[in-house]
Amino acid sequence: METVLRVKDLTKRYPRRRDKPVMAVDHVSFSVDKNEVVGLLGPNGAGKTTTIKCIAGLIKATSGEIWLNGVEAQRQPKKAMERVAALLEGNRNIYWRLTPRENLEFFAGIQGHQVRKVKAYIDELIELFDLKDKEKTSARMLSRGMQQKLALACALIRQTEILLLDEPTLGLDVETSYELRNVLKEMAARGERTILLSSHDMHVVQDICERVIVINNGRVVVDDRVANLMKLFQVSAYRFELEGHLVKELEMKLKERFPLLALSSTDHRTYIDADLVEGSELYEVLDILKAGNIQVKSIGHKEPNLEEIFLAIVKGELK
Amino acid sequence: MRYLAVFMAQLKIRYIYLKRYYFDTISMIVTMFIIFLLIFYGSMALMGGTPADMGETLEGIVVGFMVWSFALVAYGTLSWGMIEEAQQGTLEQLYMSPLGFGWVTISRVAAHFIINVFTVFIVLLLMMATTGKWLNLDILSLIPLVLLTIAGVYGIGFFMGGLALVFKRVQSALQILQFVLVIFIAAPFGWSPFMRFLPLSLGTRLIGQVMIGEQTLLQLPPGDVLFLVGNSAVYFGLGFLTFKFFENIARDRGLLGHY
Repeated sequence: METVLRVKDLTKRYPRRRDKPVMAVDHVSFSVDKNEVVGLLGPNGAGKTTTIKCIAGLIKATSGEIWLNGVEAQRQPKKAMERVAALLEGNRNIYWRLTPRENLEFFAGIQGHQVRKVKAYIDELIELFDLKDKEKTSARMLSRGMQQKLALACALIRQTEILLLDEPTLGLDVETSYELRNVLKEMAARGERTILLSSHDMHVVQDICERVIVINNGRVVVDDRVANLMKLFQVSAYRFELEGHLVKELEMKLKERFPLLALSSTDHRTYIDADLVEGSELYEVLDILKAGNIQVKSIGHKEPNLEEIFLAIVKGELK
Repeated sequence: MRYLAVFMAQLKIRYIYLKRYYFDTISMIVTMFIIFLLIFYGSMALMGGTPADMGETLEGIVVGFMVWSFALVAYGTLSWGMIEEAQQGTLEQLYMSPLGFGWVTISRVAAHFIINVFTVFIVLLLMMATTGKWLNLDILSLIPLVLLTIAGVYGIGFFMGGLALVFKRVQSALQILQFVLVIFIAAPFGWSPFMRFLPLSLGTRLIGQVMIGEQTLLQLPPGDVLFLVGNSAVYFGLGFLTFKFFENIARDRGLLGHY
């Protein structure tokens, strides 16, 4: 596979006037292949936005290299900009007094495209983002979701190989987020762009990305395929369905042995969710339950979700 | 062609704003004209009561006011413009142009200037009709002279725009400077030999020689024209360099997208 984005030892320290510099990104390295869709995850302040803005040339890196399809971004910034576009602040990347079409024409022009040559693509984007009815409405009159879709379309009109999306669904209601997610999914499925996406919305990442890079405290802590992470988590995550309720002593005994175990119950059932690293631990749980005369109705692998995996990674629970 | 595409994009956006927000355009012209009327009738009352009593001062006011109109837009395009782009979150998008932010800004300035020529021309016609003084409008001499004169103001605009990138809230300084520009234009050129070192001062005098003295650009003293070129180049260059300096700080501190 051809690598189109390569970040090598990227470090960013923000200078502060009367204090020690803040280390926002600490020797981050990763690469993204052509047409790959990669999620950049991390808690607030982890360094995601700084990484994305360094790649976009908007923040000067302290050290390290950023290669955009053979061009080192810091040495040849103009050439690098031919290869990358970004959606950075949701609905704030557009001109509110212009209509969607005018915005698209303006950003195409700023990229150096002649409007008449990209007219067909502008029409296509208006269609794809369902903006046809609002084509002649000022962007400020659009809903936040529409504005965000327009901002994404404005990033796409630049027709760059690499697309950086920083929190593309931030602040959107469930319905609009779902709609935008579908557009991103369609784009990803078409395989037209290489996308690096940062988001707190794990549904978006799980839905769209093939791979995730998790950053914590400015460092890459995990870089793996979403499917691999899911598999890894699924192997160790069990759900026990029990008849009736547990007595207090039994609950305490289980929690003493497995501190991270989670208990929940309905009227007639109790559920135990536990990460059991070794096979023998499964039998240990069963032995404790048997000793307490609890009837086990079923044992299954718990369906993992990316949010839990992410939390486990960030808390350092998943090695 | 790619550079032209950037310029055309900037020109189109200015044209759309001018047309769509016609009320804003009209009120700008009307406000400028009202300010002129206040200055005109105020000066006339002080000097005797009729336009004839004002002599060459009246023509000087018209020329000075025209230069100030150009200077205000030139200054505002960069300083206030930079703040507006940062506020609406489009500044970073402009930075990402492969043609360079420098070219994007120059295109913006040029587009503003072209649109501004029309609005200032309307104000100028209104001023001349009011005063009854029809000045020489030798476009071929005036356009390069006006451009040279306000190039220094673009330098000041770049400097203030750079400050805005780093310090964010610089509106008070911006407003004060707008009035300092009036001093550069209105202060008598003969006050001191150092007047020619100020921005706008020498240029306004040369524009006056074309509009009032009915000279052409080629008839102006070559030494003065060359001095104006050098003066504007220094202010523009210094302004642009300081802007690049502040831009570098803003990029280092990650402030480009902040407001």
